Amino acid sequence: MPLKLKIHNYYIVFEKRYETGILYKVLVTIIAVIASFIIAGLIFLMLGFSPLEIYKMIINTFTSVGLMHETLLRSTPIILAALGLSIAFKMNFWNIGAEGQLYMGAFAATGVVLLHVYYGMISPDLLLLVMLLASFIAGSAWCLFPAFLKTRLGANEIITTLMMNYIAILFVNYLIFGPWRDPQGYGFPFSVNFPPYARPSLPFMSVGTLMLTWSLVTASLVFSMLKYTIPGFEIRVVGQNLEAAKYAGMNISSTIMLGSLLSGGLSGIAGMVTVTTLIGRLTPDVSPGYGYMAIIVAYLAGLNPLLIIPAGILFGGLLTAGDAMQYALSMPKTGAQILQALIFLFTLLGEFVKRYGVTVVRSGGKDGRS
Amino acid sequence: MVAAEVLTLEAAITGAVAAGTIYLLAATGEVLTERSGILNLGLEGIMLMGAAASFIFTLSFGHLAGIVASMVVGALMALLLVFFVVTLRLNQVVTGLALTMFGTGLSGFIGAPEVRRSIVKMLNPSVPEEIVLLNQAPRLPDAPIPVLKDLPIVGKAFFSHNLIVYASLIFAVLLWVLLFRTKWGLSIRSVGENPAMADALGVNVYRIRYLSTMIGGALGGLSGAYLFLGYQPFWVEQITRGRGFIALALVILAAWSPLRAILVAYLFGGIEAFQYRVPLLGLGAQTPQFVLMLPYAVTILTLVILSFSKVRRRIGAPAALGLPYSREE
Amino acid sequence: MEDTKEKQPLVEMIGIVKRFPGVVANDEVNFTLMPGEVHALLGENGAGKTTLMNILYGLYRPDRGTIKIMGRPVTINSPSKAIKLGIGMVHQNFRLIPTHTVAENVILNAPNVGFFIDWQKIHEELRQQIAKYGWRISPESRVWQLSAGEKQQVEILKLLYRGSRILIFDEPTSVLTPQESKMLFTTMRKMAEEGKGVVLITHKLDEALSVSDRITVMRKGRVVLVKPTSMTNRDELALAMIGRQEGASLQPQPGPRTDRPVLSVINLFVEGDKEELAVKGASLDVHRGEILGIAGVSGNGQVELAEAIARVRKVKSGKILLDGKDVTSFTPRQMYENGVAYIPPEGARTGVVSELTVLENAILKSYRYSPISNKLLIRWKEAAKLAGMLIERYQVVAPSINAKVKTLSGGNIQRLVLARELLGNMLTKPKLIIAVYPTSGLDIGAAEYVRANLTSMRNEGAGILLISEDLDELLRMSDRIAVMYEGRVVGIFDGYRASKEEIGMLMARGVG
Repeated sequence: MPLKLKIHNYYIVFEKRYETGILYKVLVTIIAVIASFIIAGLIFLMLGFSPLEIYKMIINTFTSVGLMHETLLRSTPIILAALGLSIAFKMNFWNIGAEGQLYMGAFAATGVVLLHVYYGMISPDLLLLVMLLASFIAGSAWCLFPAFLKTRLGANEIITTLMMNYIAILFVNYLIFGPWRDPQGYGFPFSVNFPPYARPSLPFMSVGTLMLTWSLVTASLVFSMLKYTIPGFEIRVVGQNLEAAKYAGMNISSTIMLGSLLSGGLSGIAGMVTVTTLIGRLTPDVSPGYGYMAIIVAYLAGLNPLLIIPAGILFGGLLTAGDAMQYALSMPKTGAQILQALIFLFTLLGEFVKRYGVTVVRSGGKDGRS
Repeated sequence: MVAAEVLTLEAAITGAVAAGTIYLLAATGEVLTERSGILNLGLEGIMLMGAAASFIFTLSFGHLAGIVASMVVGALMALLLVFFVVTLRLNQVVTGLALTMFGTGLSGFIGAPEVRRSIVKMLNPSVPEEIVLLNQAPRLPDAPIPVLKDLPIVGKAFFSHNLIVYASLIFAVLLWVLLFRTKWGLSIRSVGENPAMADALGVNVYRIRYLSTMIGGALGGLSGAYLFLGYQPFWVEQITRGRGFIALALVILAAWSPLRAILVAYLFGGIEAFQYRVPLLGLGAQTPQFVLMLPYAVTILTLVILSFSKVRRRIGAPAALGLPYSREE
Repeated sequence: MEDTKEKQPLVEMIGIVKRFPGVVANDEVNFTLMPGEVHALLGENGAGKTTLMNILYGLYRPDRGTIKIMGRPVTINSPSKAIKLGIGMVHQNFRLIPTHTVAENVILNAPNVGFFIDWQKIHEELRQQIAKYGWRISPESRVWQLSAGEKQQVEILKLLYRGSRILIFDEPTSVLTPQESKMLFTTMRKMAEEGKGVVLITHKLDEALSVSDRITVMRKGRVVLVKPTSMTNRDELALAMIGRQEGASLQPQPGPRTDRPVLSVINLFVEGDKEELAVKGASLDVHRGEILGIAGVSGNGQVELAEAIARVRKVKSGKILLDGKDVTSFTPRQMYENGVAYIPPEGARTGVVSELTVLENAILKSYRYSPISNKLLIRWKEAAKLAGMLIERYQVVAPSINAKVKTLSGGNIQRLVLARELLGNMLTKPKLIIAVYPTSGLDIGAAEYVRANLTSMRNEGAGILLISEDLDELLRMSDRIAVMYEGRVVGIFDGYRASKEEIGMLMARGVG
């Protein structure tokens, strides 16, 4: 049933279309982002802040090289987690637990570092690799458990993955305030600082660029997996039509488990990246909500791994800008969150517009399309 | 000794009821919403906004304004959800999440001291600054019911709370009556089970979904207001700590029945109340976080248990929950 | 004095014309319904009977013509308006809420219910009505527990509760057992005795003859006969319905049937969706080079049997043998690897993924095997070759292999499913084909195409298990016809010599 809006002499008609062009979809996405900026600006204006200042700071974030570096670092965990989510969502597995999986990845990576620093295990050359593996496994496990509950018992994964988030954050909290607190840390709830070889770096490029490369590589891998591999195909079919998947002879449980393994694992790696590149040790506030931002980013990118990169960079930039705004304009950090949520809402609106092509018709026309 | 006092049955029940009311209000509203077929994952965000609104309006105009504001805000946010989901037929899960993120961000923003101050100044310039910048608000007064309050144990536990606690019970009972003993209730339940059939019989599916969701949102906002004004009047960001999502699980556990929701809400209230008493018992002093994990772990456990029971087949979700309805499809 | 006055018709439909793209569904149709009569609206599928009644019920607007209710001209533009005028329709697919009780379903949004519902009173009212008709249902039972016949009774109650004087039944016996059908007819007569008007839409001659007072026969959108039932007979009605004597139906050409059963089903028990047994001890074989058709009223276990054989449904007990090998616990994939093709019912819904492309759907079953893939990776080039071949050989009309399947028409989607099942198995040619309602929803051209393909697969030596609702189709194509009734195979006929009547009787009653 078409939706019609009358404006002066024109009707704007929204009608369900089978296929809308790529250009149209990209345009709609861009308009959605712009619209969210405008509405956010209005909200900030009402609450006593100057939208123009805010816009200037945001643009500044993307044009200054120094800030860009910060942005790239912040974007990486979001991008990695979003890549993981794109797999889960394509499978129709609502993994809201990226945040918790990220925390568990951070926990595992830190655990490896502590094993090395306190017990001398693992040689420095292998440290990063072991950390990578450990964080992947920890994140996977954190997602596999809800996946298991879903496939075996039909337990709603939205709630289970969400609950696991809180448990993970509390668990890391416990470690930080308890056994993993740095004895030389003057009582602050931090772990010991990571040694330099536990933090990714290459001599000839900045950490930011390194992380960007890492993101690109991972995105390409995820993209290829989904498009060219058998499990990727099965994931896409299971997500679209469960009955057809059964009819095609696919093992739905194992497909979902595999997808969850990858999804959680990528978020786990995001945790490792956060704790090694951004902070340098384990703290109670490992993540300002990267796991939740990843959901928005995945959606904004239409679950396309390659588009997740620019979307993730946008969000990383918003975070950096948010920090700057806090110092310069004394605006609470949650301001960035509002903007992100608005982008989410407008992207959703955009979904509607994308699904329904728009035509503008002159009213009073003689054609039968009243 | 203080510890012994605090551990009496009376104290336990009082705590359970006090904490449980948060869950009860949110769950009651969500039961209504889900009975009409809409899943409101924005509940957490609505509760947060309710709390923030109640904070600001109480500072400006007093408790009543705070309560009313929280309900209006809750209903408006729910209106946004139901518009996206019913009229634009967007995915309920994602829209709800977006709404929660928006509520989380906005509530943190307006609750922050600087912003809070400017808003209160706009609303009521006569409020002294020191009051505004305190991170707390005057607590809702208790309203003990005469006579009943002097009953042993139950008197303190049930009849000496603030008005919202009593209201929450009344709402739950009223909802039960509405759903199962009135014409409107039958229509609401039918819309949640089979909107096509209800539509064919002349029931206005869209109107019912809009109203149910907005009332559910108002109750969610009220839950946030109660949390802040009646339970824990110290403002922190994310004051709800996921209770909104737990409430969603509670609705499932209560099998979408408002009366069972009362039991389940008080049960979880009890778990929460227990959390705070554990350190006094001398247990878990070293590891308070594990105790704090209780509500979340128990929620997962209940979902697991629920899936096992054969009961699930008879007490199922409203059949059309989460599915968009369109007349042509 | 009042008795001699001409009774006024409840319904008069005069000069009704309704066109749909490409077909005139109702062509200057006149129809009247008198109070106190059961009026059968008889005709083959597609004759226009349902369209006419849908117009009366407000689902369609006629292009031309008038409708009068009790002598007053009315416009009925929605079912709610029809209900207000006292017209009620009992559809083939029940519009009931399974988890609610009978009472809850009956009174939903009924105008004569107060704000606060007095369940006691309503249950009592309903119990009286139920007793009046001699039924056995209880107002407090949940609808999901009821049988098809009982659900229909709830639908009738719904209409009566809203004061319907005109009740339209659309092919009501298609989901009923013979006993339930008898009960229904008794109910109809009781309603007529109360002065109501009952319309029975049916394609079954015998039904019309047994319960109605008057019969209107429609054919190809026109009314060809209107007579009191007592003044007509089977032959006259059959002639009116079909336009010729119901005589010999087309016979299939005998096929190269061998003595080797490719499929043996032995005493199979299969559970349906609601945990009740749908197949209760069925046994049959299918030989190479033959088509075994399965006839039966829908809902007697045929679909569940086919799904069990294709292994998309669990077997409770019994055996399935493929070329003598026990495959009872095989997975669907293993069946595929062993040369079994399965054309599911509603292929457009369960056999394809509509959001994926034609290319991706073409390899939906063969994606795991070489040359489409090797170990881990899918070789899209090879897949494209296969997809190209499938759409060419089966003439699937699609903009490109990269078009999403949802953009294809239903007929083309079914062609794609067929092509994939019959040609697309990369390992072996199918030796057993299980086809469930393969031509349902297709236009004549597409349906003929499907039949021709199945027949040629048979001629090449495959064994085919064909389940169809269309008895004519079964008669034309099958070498043998098995009849299923209540989960069992109750008879097997020679496809070249069987008569429709014999088979029909077995379908309806379970005993010859």
